[in-house]
Amino acid sequence: MSGHDFLLELGTEELPSAAVSGLSVALAEQLTSAFASHGISHGMVRSFGTPRRLAVWVKDLNERAADASIVRRGPPVSAAVDATGNPTRAGLAFAESCGCSFAELGRVTEAKGEFLHFASVKAGAATTALLGDIVIQAVAQLPVAKRMRWGDSDFEFARPVHWVVLLYAEQVLPCEVLGVASGRITYGHRFMAPGPLTLSAALDYEDLLFTQGRVVADFEQRRQQIRSGVTDLAAIEGGTPVLTDALLDEVTALVEWPVPLSAGFDARFLDLPDEVILATLQGHQRYFALRAANGRLLNRFITVANLVSSDPTQVVAGNERVVGPRLSDAAFFWNQDRAAPLHSRQEALRAVTFQAQLGSYFDKSVRASALASHLAPAFHADATLAVRGMQLAKCDLLSGLVGEFPELQGTMGGYYARHDGEPEAIATAISEHYRPRFAGDELPSGALGQILSVADKLDTITGIFAIGQKPSGTRDPYGLRRAALGVLRILIETRREVDLQDCIALATRNAVADRDARLGSGAAKTAPASGPAIERDVYDYMIDRLRAYYTENVAGVTTEMFEAVLDRRPRSAYDFDRRVQALAVFLTLADAPALAAANKRIANILRKSDESEGTTSITPTPLVQVEELSLQAALNEARPTVLEAIAQQNYAEALTRLAGLRGVVDAFFDKVLVNANEPGLKAARLQLLRDLRSLFLSIADLSRLPG
Amino acid sequence: MARDALAERPRTFQDLILRLQQYWAAQGCVLMQPYDMEVGAGTFHVATFLRAIGPEPWRAAYVQPSRRPTDGRYGDNPFRLQHYYQFQVVMKPSPADFIDRYLGSLASVGLDPLVQDVRLVEDNWESPTLGAWGLGWEIWVNGMEVSQFTYFQQVGGQDCKPVMGEITYGLERLAMYLQGVESIYELVWSDSEHGKITYGDVYHQNEVEQSRYNFELADTTELLRQFEALESECTRLLEAQSALPAYEKMLRASHTFNLLDARRAISVTERQRYILRVRTLARGVADAYLKSREALGFPLLKKQAL
Repeated sequence: MSGHDFLLELGTEELPSAAVSGLSVALAEQLTSAFASHGISHGMVRSFGTPRRLAVWVKDLNERAADASIVRRGPPVSAAVDATGNPTRAGLAFAESCGCSFAELGRVTEAKGEFLHFASVKAGAATTALLGDIVIQAVAQLPVAKRMRWGDSDFEFARPVHWVVLLYAEQVLPCEVLGVASGRITYGHRFMAPGPLTLSAALDYEDLLFTQGRVVADFEQRRQQIRSGVTDLAAIEGGTPVLTDALLDEVTALVEWPVPLSAGFDARFLDLPDEVILATLQGHQRYFALRAANGRLLNRFITVANLVSSDPTQVVAGNERVVGPRLSDAAFFWNQDRAAPLHSRQEALRAVTFQAQLGSYFDKSVRASALASHLAPAFHADATLAVRGMQLAKCDLLSGLVGEFPELQGTMGGYYARHDGEPEAIATAISEHYRPRFAGDELPSGALGQILSVADKLDTITGIFAIGQKPSGTRDPYGLRRAALGVLRILIETRREVDLQDCIALATRNAVADRDARLGSGAAKTAPASGPAIERDVYDYMIDRLRAYYTENVAGVTTEMFEAVLDRRPRSAYDFDRRVQALAVFLTLADAPALAAANKRIANILRKSDESEGTTSITPTPLVQVEELSLQAALNEARPTVLEAIAQQNYAEALTRLAGLRGVVDAFFDKVLVNANEPGLKAARLQLLRDLRSLFLSIADLSRLPG
Repeated sequence: MARDALAERPRTFQDLILRLQQYWAAQGCVLMQPYDMEVGAGTFHVATFLRAIGPEPWRAAYVQPSRRPTDGRYGDNPFRLQHYYQFQVVMKPSPADFIDRYLGSLASVGLDPLVQDVRLVEDNWESPTLGAWGLGWEIWVNGMEVSQFTYFQQVGGQDCKPVMGEITYGLERLAMYLQGVESIYELVWSDSEHGKITYGDVYHQNEVEQSRYNFELADTTELLRQFEALESECTRLLEAQSALPAYEKMLRASHTFNLLDARRAISVTERQRYILRVRTLARGVADAYLKSREALGFPLLKKQAL
């Protein structure tokens, strides 16, 4: 067993920055999974990715694939050998299919008799014979988001491919990848080392590129280098860099030889909101902004150049020339936007379509305002403020800055509302009402913002359902999954007792009215969904997102627990959550499994009885046995405290109290035969079980829990 | 990848254009003149849009005056114009060393890639009205976008085979960088014994008046009527298999739409429908043009030396 180092490098034109890291990792995964399926052993695997190359280096790739043992069972000996002891046609055919003579076949005795048997070892193929196909397949299976053609070839890749290095130890493996013949020539930095570089062995790759190619090929190493370089330079400037993973990744994917340089802009632009400055520096220019120790932005930034410039001052001056005009454009809009109050844009929202069948953003804010007003009491908020906030919340869509920086929607509205002298609570609410924008994002900080967020999202969800465009499979163009999860997170995490079904009903009424007002002109292709159907759909959809909420956010909530509560279809998400949490506590009790089992048993008994006797009314006669009488007594004693706890939504307390019944319940099932011969007694026992079950059911269906 | 000769920076706007023309002529491009109609970008010139269709090879370079009515700022904004210049280069099939040739053009106007930080940043191009898309980059010089670089994949709904590569230089922006001025209007257009003529001398009045026309004076009722008329005229010409005249009607319809857009005469919902209407025309033209070239036997295929 001996192995050699392997290297594959694809040299390309500048890859999309979002693709570099993912494609280089995927290339390594494709190769290693192919090695595994061919039984080719190897050592460490490293992937490399820069704007101009994807590469994978593998240590000690075995020269041969592993031997494969072949075992085949043939026909029964009785069928393979005739009376005279000679092989039959079937016997010969099996030998032929195994590639040996009949005499070489063995025999094996199994329960069903004696069979022909073939065993052999297939020697593993030489790795060099397999690598060409493995590489071509691996490249073909890369998850390239957008493929393109170039020149007059039919090959497709993320960007044109210029060279392919394919080395096994010192040898080139001849192969054609995407129309390019493999070799040992690579290229370094586009400008600092443009000539060809010859790789004498796979082992030399990273080193040669670094020393002669002026390329830091390892993505992670480059990223580290940028992070520390930017941080060091920021310290010299008296600040710390605003580092986000997304920006670090993007910059790493844009350079082969990172050189951080610091530059600045006119201090008067610091009057702009931080978000606007950051959007310009990070979003447009991929610069790192700097903050002083007091948290304020500095009028300095760091750009990461892709070369050691022979005159860095020109690079700095050039970048400063770009930032100035961009910030002055932003300042122009900032001033212009504030010249007119936010509320003056409300009318103009009529011209901005939210969704053709549901009307404009004006219509949307009217609908959402009604919801906001309805929600206010549950959030202990002023309904007038909530309505005002909702009416203003979308007005910044018409501002110049949001036109330039769509990602600042909401944020700018908050600034403008504050500038207009709107109450601070409204300004904050507007700026935060798009939250949570992604998994794990913060919720709006105040009650008003939470109301606007819930109202806005619930209106979107219900409206889109009303026009029959609910998400299907992975298609979710309106982001309803995220919206639904956002609503649920707010209701549960801020502990708001909101009747979701009521809210959905209100949202549906308004959405359907707006929808139907637009149906008049164009003939609807299919009859639009009715209010009740939409309400049910939306509730079910939201509750289903709740399932996702638990799997993503809450450890220890199982599907059974979720189903047990879902059975009760609680009207409030927070109430739903309290029940689930109570079950989690309940399940830690020693009595839980037995009670779950008892609930199952009772549910079965009641179902069978309902099936066989339907609703025939037989007058129950008094209970007679000790065990049933004590169950009845215990139940009657527990009921008031349990109901009291339930009324206070203290489900854990209610369940703990019910758990105390375990002894009498067990004794009942041990000693009492529910199906008594006497119909009156049987009816009484069934009634007792029904009473017990219904008390449990007022919390959750415990029969769904493991027990 | 030999180092390109680094030239002195051109001192005037017209020198920049001459330099680029010379450079690309030497790369085998047919030097064309601007298309004599109002268009939004160099891509609308027949030398790009139509030549991208079908199997024939093609190489061209030209300046294209471009109009984007919504970008008008009455001559007040130092960076935005409703009428500006693009320098366009197309090569089909796109040569393997297309990027290197482009970088050579930067050297020819005095930008040294060992001094300047030149970056290719992903930017994919899509024109809904032209039924066209391609993949490529913005080219950044020290963080400033100076060109767009695109490999056309589809034009007028037709797959581009072979692929045409397109480079578009924003001439004003590049010139501002080269001349180190802070406003488009300060660009030196020409410098002779008669003195300096600036971009402002040549175009400021035009920006003021045309912005006013675009935003205030354009007769939207008349423009809407014209759009309808141009659309039906284009359709009629397509039925008559008259690709090039039909294309010009489409260009005018497209520009008319842009004017209506600047006047905000088209609502957001209607906007999409207008775009689709222009795209339908563009597809029709692409179809008709391909058929017409085929009927001629794709003449340029016979001149592979081109």
